[in-house]
Amino acid sequence: MSMAAATPAKIEVARVSKHFGAADGVPVLRDIDLSCAENEFVCLLGRSGCGKTTLLNIIAGLTPPSAGCVRVDGVQVTGPGQGKGMVFQQNALFPWLTARGNVEFGARRGGLGKAAGRRVADELLELVGLTGFAERFPVQLSGGMQQRVAIARALALDPQILLMDEPFGALDEITRLDMQAELLRVWSSRRKTVVFVTHSIMEALMLGDRVVVMGDGGITAIHDVGGARPRHRSDPALITLHEQIWQGLH
Amino acid sequence: MRATFTRHAALLQGGAFILVLLAGWELAAALGFLRPHSFPPPSRVAQGAWELAVRGFPEGVRVWTHALVTLRRIFSGFAIAMVTAIPLGLLIGSSSVLERLTHPLITFARSVATLSLLPLVIVWFGTGELSKTLLIAYGCFWVMLSNVIAGVKYVDPVLIRAARSMDTPVGEIFTHVILPAALPRIFAGARTALGVGFMVIVGAEMIGTIEGLGALIMEARNFYRTDVTIVGMLLLGVMGVGFAVGMEALERRLLPWHRGLAEVRR
Repeated sequence: MSMAAATPAKIEVARVSKHFGAADGVPVLRDIDLSCAENEFVCLLGRSGCGKTTLLNIIAGLTPPSAGCVRVDGVQVTGPGQGKGMVFQQNALFPWLTARGNVEFGARRGGLGKAAGRRVADELLELVGLTGFAERFPVQLSGGMQQRVAIARALALDPQILLMDEPFGALDEITRLDMQAELLRVWSSRRKTVVFVTHSIMEALMLGDRVVVMGDGGITAIHDVGGARPRHRSDPALITLHEQIWQGLH
Repeated sequence: MRATFTRHAALLQGGAFILVLLAGWELAAALGFLRPHSFPPPSRVAQGAWELAVRGFPEGVRVWTHALVTLRRIFSGFAIAMVTAIPLGLLIGSSSVLERLTHPLITFARSVATLSLLPLVIVWFGTGELSKTLLIAYGCFWVMLSNVIAGVKYVDPVLIRAARSMDTPVGEIFTHVILPAALPRIFAGARTALGVGFMVIVGAEMIGTIEGLGALIMEARNFYRTDVTIVGMLLLGVMGVGFAVGMEALERRLLPWHRGLAEVRR
C-alpha cells in the first residue's frame, strides 16, 4: 500500500513464492520479482514444470501465492476478473455454447447487457476472422478456430491485461504460425498488456517485447527482443538470441 | 452417401441372416428335429401373436393391454427415480463430503440385484401396483444417481477455471457451467436407467397381476404356451430398443453440441 511506484508498472510481481501441499514442501516458485509495463508483450519461457503456468495463475488471481503479492496498477490482486482476461491451452470453450455464445458469455461477464453483448461478440468474431462461424459449436470448429474464439471471449471482457497459457501449444506447427501472426494483428488493433506462457523459444521471440526465461522455480534470464513486428524467423539477430537462450537453458 | 449405403447394406445383411436362421428353425421343426412345444417355430409364434391380438391371453386380456400396463409401470417407476435422483445427485456431486459419505452406500445399493428385493417389497408394500412401481424405481434410481453424481463431479476442470477467470460467481458457475456440462452424462444415465426398467419389469410382474408382459410370460409358462412366452419376450425387446433409440434421438435434438458420448457409454 505504502509504496506507490514512481514509474507505474502495469503488473508488478513482488517476491512471489508458491509451494503446494506442506509448507516445507519443495517450492514451485521462489521469490519471483517481475514487472510489466503497460501494453508490453511479455513471454514467459521455460520447460514443462518450471512454474511458468503457476506464475500466470497467480497473476490471474486463480491461485493465491504462498508469499509475496501481485499488484495491477498498484492494487493488490485478490482474485480473478479485475481487468484480466485469460486464454487457456485448449478445450476451455463451453461446448454447449456456439462461438457467438462463448464470446457473449465473456461480454456479459464484462458487464454488458444482452444487446450490447451480442453486438460486441459479433464485432470480436469479425476481428478474429470468424464471422461466418458464429453459429457453430466448438466441436464443429478446428483447433485454430477454437483458439480464435477463446481469444475473442477473453477480449470480450474488455480487459487491460491478457494472460495466455500456452494458447497455441496444442496446435499443429503450421496453424501455430498462422495464429501467432493473427494474435499480433489482433493485438495491434486492441493494445493490451500481454503475459504469454510458452515453451517454444521461437514463439517467444516472434511475439514478445521481452522474453523471461524461467527454470527451477525462478527467473534465470530476461532478454529484450528488439525489432518491429511481424518479425522474420530468419533475422540474424533473432537467431543469435535463440542460440543464446538455448545455451542458457542448459 | 457411400457411408449411408454401406450402413444400409450392413443392416440388410444382418436382417437377412436373422431370416435365414428363422427359416432354418421352421424347417427343423417341420422335419421333426425340434419339438414344436418346446421350440415353437416362427409360424407357431405368429399364430400365438395373432391369438394375443384378437382373443387375448388369458382370454379377454389382449396384447395391447399387456403392453400398455407394462409401459405405465415402467414409466411411473422411471419418473419417480428421475425426480428423486436428479436433485439428490446434483447435491451429492457438488459436495465432496456428501460424496465421500454416500459413495460406499451407493456402490452397494447399485450392486444389489433389484429382483432379490421382491420378497421384502411384497412384505412391506403388498402385491399391488405400488410394489411393482417401487421395484422399478429402485432399479432406475441408483443407476441414475451414480450417473448424475459422476456428471457433476467429473466436469472438465478447465471449464471451471475458464469461468473463474471471468470472475463468474459460484452460483452462476453451477447453473451455467457445471449443469450443462453434466447433461450428457445425466442423459446417458437416464437411458441406462430406462433399460434397467425394462429388465426389472418381468420380475416385478411375476406376482399379483395378470396384466402386463411380465405377467403374460409367467402365465404362458403355467399353460406351457412357449409361443406366447416368446411373443411377450419379443415385444419387450422391441419396446426396449424403441425407447433406447428414441432417447438417443431426443439427446441429439436437445444436445446438438455433444458428440461422442454415445461411443464411450459405460
